Amino acid sequence: MRFAACTILIAILSAGAAIMMPWWIIAVVAFAVTFVVNISSGKAFLSGFCGIALFWLVAILLADAANEHILSARMAKLFSLPHYGVFIVVNLLVGGLVGGLAGWSGAVLRNGFMKPQSQV
Amino acid sequence: MRAFRAVIPLIITFVVVFLLNRPLGSLPALGSLLDPMHGAWANAEATDADFTNELSLPGLRGPAKVWFDEYLKPHVRASNDHDVYYIQGYIHAYFRLWQMDLQVRAAGGRVSEILGAKALEFDRMQRRKGMVYGAEQSLSAIEAEPHTKMMLDAYRDGVNAYIAQLDYEHYPLEYKLIGFKPERWDNIKTALLLKYMADDLTGYTEDIQLTLLRDALPADVFAQLYQERNYQSTPVIPSGTAHHPPLFSKPSVPEGPIWGHLDSADFDNRVENEGKGSNNWAVGPSRTRSGAAILCNDPHLGLNLPALWFEIQMQAPGLNVYGVSLPGAPGVIIGFTDSVSWGFTNNYRDVKDFYTIELIPGNNEKYLFGGRKATFNKRIEHIDIKGGTSYDDTVLYTVHGPVVYDRNFAGKEKIKRPLAMTWMAHRPSNELYAIYMMNRAANYDQFAEAIMSFHCPAQNIVYADKTGNIALWGQGQFINKWKDQGRYVMNGTENSTRWGAEIPTAQNPHVLNPAQGFVSSANQTVTDTTYPYWYNGYFYEFRAWRINEQLAAMNGAGVQDMFRLQQDTYSILAAKTLPVLLQYLSANNDKYIAGLRNWDYNLAAGSVPASVFQVWWSQLYKELWKDVAGKVALPLYPSHERTMELILQRSPLLGDLKERATTSYRLTLDSLAKLEKDKGDKWYQVKNTGIRHLAKLNGFSYEGLEVGGWGNTVNAVKGDHGPSWRMVVQMSANTEAYGIYPGGQSGNPGSKYYSSFIDKWAKGAYQKLLFLPGQGEPGAEELKYTWTLKHKQP
Repeated sequence: MRFAACTILIAILSAGAAIMMPWWIIAVVAFAVTFVVNISSGKAFLSGFCGIALFWLVAILLADAANEHILSARMAKLFSLPHYGVFIVVNLLVGGLVGGLAGWSGAVLRNGFMKPQSQV
Repeated sequence: MRAFRAVIPLIITFVVVFLLNRPLGSLPALGSLLDPMHGAWANAEATDADFTNELSLPGLRGPAKVWFDEYLKPHVRASNDHDVYYIQGYIHAYFRLWQMDLQVRAAGGRVSEILGAKALEFDRMQRRKGMVYGAEQSLSAIEAEPHTKMMLDAYRDGVNAYIAQLDYEHYPLEYKLIGFKPERWDNIKTALLLKYMADDLTGYTEDIQLTLLRDALPADVFAQLYQERNYQSTPVIPSGTAHHPPLFSKPSVPEGPIWGHLDSADFDNRVENEGKGSNNWAVGPSRTRSGAAILCNDPHLGLNLPALWFEIQMQAPGLNVYGVSLPGAPGVIIGFTDSVSWGFTNNYRDVKDFYTIELIPGNNEKYLFGGRKATFNKRIEHIDIKGGTSYDDTVLYTVHGPVVYDRNFAGKEKIKRPLAMTWMAHRPSNELYAIYMMNRAANYDQFAEAIMSFHCPAQNIVYADKTGNIALWGQGQFINKWKDQGRYVMNGTENSTRWGAEIPTAQNPHVLNPAQGFVSSANQTVTDTTYPYWYNGYFYEFRAWRINEQLAAMNGAGVQDMFRLQQDTYSILAAKTLPVLLQYLSANNDKYIAGLRNWDYNLAAGSVPASVFQVWWSQLYKELWKDVAGKVALPLYPSHERTMELILQRSPLLGDLKERATTSYRLTLDSLAKLEKDKGDKWYQVKNTGIRHLAKLNGFSYEGLEVGGWGNTVNAVKGDHGPSWRMVVQMSANTEAYGIYPGGQSGNPGSKYYSSFIDKWAKGAYQKLLFLPGQGEPGAEELKYTWTLKHKQP
């Protein structure tokens, strides 16, 4: 439950912040959320990964559908990827990785400096 | 310890974010690029995007409107001259900013700034041939003329108004991929773009090759292989046209050591080169079905995405013009008004010459000239290189112009000997004034007056109007030269080798309403031998022969006939040479021979015999000339036209023609076997025409287009070069105009308008051009979006 809430929180907050801020704000959001929400470091990674990937997936699908895959197909060809879908997956892996690492960092840092509490 | 362990993930995260935030090798900064809010995805334009908009722009003086059709072709209506160019600048930047930026960087030798040291050689060459110097000269002329100064300033302000409100999210995609930023537009950039065109069209030279060959070959062989002109030419200005009585007497060839000489020690190694072409013609009322003149033009240039051209209609009081413009320059370059129409082909008279420079040992400041020591003018060319370094190149300017090659810079020609260049593109000239006036011309006299300031690149300018006049001018600034002056490298120590008087442009060869009822040009020899001045050039004849033959047989012509002629792929080269060459293969029974024997000489897209002929011809051509012309450091083969003539004459200069024909055919069969396996042996597969992205980003390019033709046919579509704009305008009461270019109005690879016209262009289709009247709200249902523009209070 806390994992799901944490993930959704990361997705929503990072989406809101990313409108105005540079791309790396996703790392700050994922870090801040897992620093505050009490969650194990493994789950924090997963939560950060999924939260950011979810935000990126929704944003990308909206843009890509309206664009009828023109850009994604050309970008896929540019990076020698076989299909626009693969390009989208690569996007999600990159975003997810950053979110995951930041989420993991937040949880580990909290645990390092605060007394461990019961974790979910 | 525990605290330390707690920050390890944070450090890893920092490192990953840091790495994603900067370019790695050839990869762009992936973090910003993939960011769905501001990165590449921000360039994914919705296919149903609504372009209707209201804009308040600081530089506008009055209200204006822009109507766009379904392909985003803008129709601009402004209330004054200033605003129409301001809006054009804004629109060019809106659709093509990155392309404008890149082309101008390439013109001025500033590519290293964005691509790093690998572009340094290229940048140095641009600087050393005086591109920036030439642009500065032209800019001074443009800014000294009030109309063109206004035009250029307004255009610049329009471009900058667009750039001023740009943020990373809205940068053209290529900026995000290559990792640089748009910068302010200046007037010098437009001047550089015009020099970019001048270089593309008059930069080609054979002076050095011909010098080497003249010295290496017996005089009679040289004279026969490298004729001064093609005497079978059907010239641009029809034979028999009366020329202006010459203003100057023909200068005699000066006494003394006038030639420069080069030998293999002056070179590092060898290279090869190839030329370009275009067609234009106008058919007079006596030969058309409608009784109205018809004008056609297809300028052949590099085919790239974003395309070189941008379609636009521009209206202001006293102005209503439609045609193609060059993103980066104001005005319409090729097009029509409600009274006149015009088009260009390259004129190819030689306006670029070389001089050997004698240095003085131990003295870097001076060179020998006119029996005395003359001082170099030094120009420091500062080239910034991505990554923070820079390179200062000192270019030495002589009385002849810049020393392009010397021991510090051999170029791709690998010349170590100091050679200076005299080039018409270095002289102050104001082609923009010609464009300004042509765009407003209402009759022949006004048009002829307008083109007087079109100096470089020299163009064959075709003209037709609503009263049925047709005309053709071999227009540009030329020099009254003595025989062979500048055909070879000249001795730069002699004062007598310098260029003489400029021939007034009003005296250039031209023709108005000739008896034959049509005019045409396809980069062939400009005049017959009655023209009173001497000139040389780099002319092509095949397309001109075909076009003149076809037009001469045309009566009751309509626009469909014009389309057909622009798409014509009949090869005169094949039709004339193949019957001779096939005699040598009478014993052959390979799989291609029957097709070749029954072929109709059309280089059609799907034709296999076309592939066989073209591959065979290129093998044979090499086989014929590699020994003769290959002797010298920078080889130059005799022209294809001359080669054809010699084959038809079975000239002994060709050696054992039978042996060469059979050997080259054997090689051809080998190549075809390989081609068939690799990509297919149909003509379009063999030649592989592509419309490639300007920065060679392959994902944004189109390859393998199914189109026929080659350089020896009217429809001269080559691998990366061909009809960059096809236009047919019938000057009837209601102008009936058609046009198409291989690209799209938008330069954004994420837009559906990026390549809108490519399929149609490849199929040989045309679009009807919507020419709006100058007054009233246009009711045309073709118009989909409207910009309403007004002045913004600062």
